[in-house]
Amino acid sequence: MNTTPFTSGLSENAVTITRVAKSQWHALDDDLVVGRGHAHHRPDGRLFVSIDAWHDVAFDRLAEAMTKTLPAPLYTVVDEADAELTVGWRRAGFTIRRREWEYAVPTDPRVTGLDEAQVLPPAGVTIVPAGRADERLLRAVDRAIRDEVEASVGWQSMPAEVIPFPEGDTIVDPSKYAVAATSDRYLGLIRVVTVKEPRIGLVAVRAGEQRRGIGRALLAQALGTLHRSGFASAWAEVQESNRAASVLFEGIGAQAAGSNLELVR
Amino acid sequence: MTKGKNVIEVEGRVVECLRSAMFTVELENGHQVLAHISGKIRRNYIKIMLEDRVLVELPPYDLTRGRIVFRYRN
Repeated sequence: MNTTPFTSGLSENAVTITRVAKSQWHALDDDLVVGRGHAHHRPDGRLFVSIDAWHDVAFDRLAEAMTKTLPAPLYTVVDEADAELTVGWRRAGFTIRRREWEYAVPTDPRVTGLDEAQVLPPAGVTIVPAGRADERLLRAVDRAIRDEVEASVGWQSMPAEVIPFPEGDTIVDPSKYAVAATSDRYLGLIRVVTVKEPRIGLVAVRAGEQRRGIGRALLAQALGTLHRSGFASAWAEVQESNRAASVLFEGIGAQAAGSNLELVR
Repeated sequence: MTKGKNVIEVEGRVVECLRSAMFTVELENGHQVLAHISGKIRRNYIKIMLEDRVLVELPPYDLTRGRIVFRYRN
């Protein structure tokens, strides 16, 4: 580790930056930790950084030390409402790469218009509820969809997948997925994870099967299940440029509740 | 309350979600602090909501501010 500190010299009480681990930095001011910086690789291979600092000098010195040491490009995510943090990253030379909307999605069929009894998948397709999907077929459709995304718009343009997947795998908990199925394969999937409030982490349909109502049928099943379980809403992130997804969510009454910015340097 | 690495960590409850990605957190001792969320919480897309029980880190020189570093499941 590089434990050789350097001193900013800009503040009355000079801030000292020390790399305390391979991916961790501390800002010290008069022996107090006044800021911490972290770097980590996401499953897609990109290097993301974050800084928690109690004042701008510490933030700036941490950003300076980290950007000097780490290989470009570096990414970070900020809540767009957090103007102070966004300005800090801009001072460090980061620019906006993309925006993700956070939607609050209602579950009540009377609001969404997605009554499970009426919003049916196309003929020959059935919706298999979460917990009943065949794991082999589920992994196959997940892999196929991810390959299709990578070959088209690119997975990096999608809302970040931050779960530390086992190597070569993206299905951590098969019980979280409902799927659209034919007799021998799956055509689409939806993943809903509930910690305190449900989050729709992924809803996707195979490229050749889109525009047939499969996505709406998956949403109807998932939201209907949540509604029966007593959840009034779920949330989901949508890449700003993904107009189809925004139209889908807004069409069922989802409201944009916030936004995240992905910055890059 | 725990103390380490020159910071004070206190449990609290989110009593208000403010604009600018800030939260008012009522600490165990009844005091309220204005808190933002840590980079770790942000990068893991953990949502902080009203009534959430959280762990707040306080700077030693300003006990009116805080940083939410952990959200308890219950």
